[in-house]
Amino acid sequence: MKLPRLGLTNLGLGVGLRTVHFGYLLQNTPPVDWFEIISENFMDSGGRPRYVLEQIAERYSVVMHGVSMSIGSTDPLNFDYLGKLKRLAGAVNARWVSDHLCWTGVAGLNAHDLLPIPLNEETLKHVVGRVRTVQEFLERPLVLENPSSYVTFTDSTMPEWEFMARLAEDADCGLLLDVNNVYVSSVNHDFDPVEYIKTVPHRRVVQFHLAGHTDCGTHRIDTHDNHVIDPVWELFRLAHQLTGGASTLLEWDARIPEFPVVHAEVLKAKQYMGAALATPLPQAPPRAAAAGAVPHPLSYVIPEVA
Amino acid sequence: MHNLETLQHWMQTVIMNPHGVGAGIESEESRRAIDVSPADIEGVITRSQNLTALQRLDIYHRAYFARLIECLRDEFPVLLHALGDEAFDAFALAYLQKYPSRSYTLSLLGSSFPQYLAETRPPDEGGSGEDGSGPSWPDFLIDLATLELNFAAVFDGPGVEGQELLDVEKLQTLAPEQWLASRLIPVPCLRLLTLRFPVNKYYRAVRKKKEPAVPQPRPTYLALTRRQFIVRHYQFPRLQYVLLNALLAGDTVADAIEKTAAAAGPQLSRLEGFLHKWFRNWTAEGFFLGIETR
Repeated sequence: MKLPRLGLTNLGLGVGLRTVHFGYLLQNTPPVDWFEIISENFMDSGGRPRYVLEQIAERYSVVMHGVSMSIGSTDPLNFDYLGKLKRLAGAVNARWVSDHLCWTGVAGLNAHDLLPIPLNEETLKHVVGRVRTVQEFLERPLVLENPSSYVTFTDSTMPEWEFMARLAEDADCGLLLDVNNVYVSSVNHDFDPVEYIKTVPHRRVVQFHLAGHTDCGTHRIDTHDNHVIDPVWELFRLAHQLTGGASTLLEWDARIPEFPVVHAEVLKAKQYMGAALATPLPQAPPRAAAAGAVPHPLSYVIPEVA
Repeated sequence: MHNLETLQHWMQTVIMNPHGVGAGIESEESRRAIDVSPADIEGVITRSQNLTALQRLDIYHRAYFARLIECLRDEFPVLLHALGDEAFDAFALAYLQKYPSRSYTLSLLGSSFPQYLAETRPPDEGGSGEDGSGPSWPDFLIDLATLELNFAAVFDGPGVEGQELLDVEKLQTLAPEQWLASRLIPVPCLRLLTLRFPVNKYYRAVRKKKEPAVPQPRPTYLALTRRQFIVRHYQFPRLQYVLLNALLAGDTVADAIEKTAAAAGPQLSRLEGFLHKWFRNWTAEGFFLGIETR
């Protein structure tokens, strides 16, 4: 890789496009730098979601973020799905296409969850091969995100940051560094998030994700239903320093506030660009343990009926 | 070291077991993949400082059902209202076991839900007829689910926004013999439904935050379509449905009218007077993309 971020542009501060904001975005043109879409919500749409996306794509840069590629699965790759992904990327001039380092199901099933993989040589070889196949098919680099996870396997032989680094180098793909996911997983798996951020290959980081999560007392769940907490902002500050900056995107998927609130949240990132890392990380304020917190993504689109 | 495919089959079987991860680990299917007991699970899944391996796996189990039931609630909000939370969730849970998602998109998650409700319909009792037969509460629920499923399909399926449609004036330029030999091309978003209950009225009332009573059964004929990205629905008498259904099946206007006349019974004498108005209304509502004339 010759250029940082695979030569992809730093788009600035963006927001995840959600259906509850469609009306607002058709009426207003807020000064958002770019939008990220959930690919699966639009690839088959012949209705309002696709229409709104086309309006947005005329005014803003768009990045596609998927939840069903299942790059870590041992099921065969779904080329029907990949074909639709490729067509959509062409139609909306997607700046890049991303998904998660995970599997979503086997034996033809889809759990619609971002399930973790054992981090070892066998899995690495398997995923590298599939990423190469996908990149050849899409004729563009794939950008992969570190998911939040809740289990680790005895079969794992390396930490996630090492796996991500080797995957990116061997498959020549980009990374979407979800800073909130690093934090959530660090609590769940008792590792140092600063070491993770310091160790991932910074030149490969095409994009950052930021989001809120839920503190369940004994663990954290990636709910995307709140503001970003201070320790995550501090990790973002470090990641921004080490990478030299990359496109930054805020995700808000449940209990979604009005668009200006979501936009204001990502604009807070400006406060964390440049200054030194607070050491140690600030403690997150205690929150009531949340029973029944559900990790996102959810991506069902609700129809409008007269 | 476990083979990756084996490990994934095992984990999927465990977290999708409706009785919990303990039952999942003990199940025959998961033991065929990895023969481990709940007591020995830390040979597969590591524990954290705060949680055991079982507790950690349980997060995925709970999330699987909670997430997908939430999606079904979003897809069938009026069925949820009719059933109440507890009953709806019980149906949804059972449905997900019989029809787990096999698609990359959540928009197809509920596509077999009406079918599932029909397959598991309890034996007839307390129907609307004098002998206890006839449509009853389960049929109402199946109809409601069918309506909501079709609303979702019309909402996000192919449409004709921005396209020129057949207009009423065009119809008036056709000579009678040309008109009778022609075929009307329906818009791709037009669907017809025959239901046993007027669930469309119930649906509309619930969406307006009202508390409607469950309606009495009555054969209900509906057309669903979409204009300006919003789903519209129209209720018709049976004869209009017969005519429209024939037109959608590709019959010529003459053949469709003939079928309608055959179904008209005592209304036959009044049919001719209706036809002009029906075609005019349907065209004005944007049911047709164009017309094929010989």
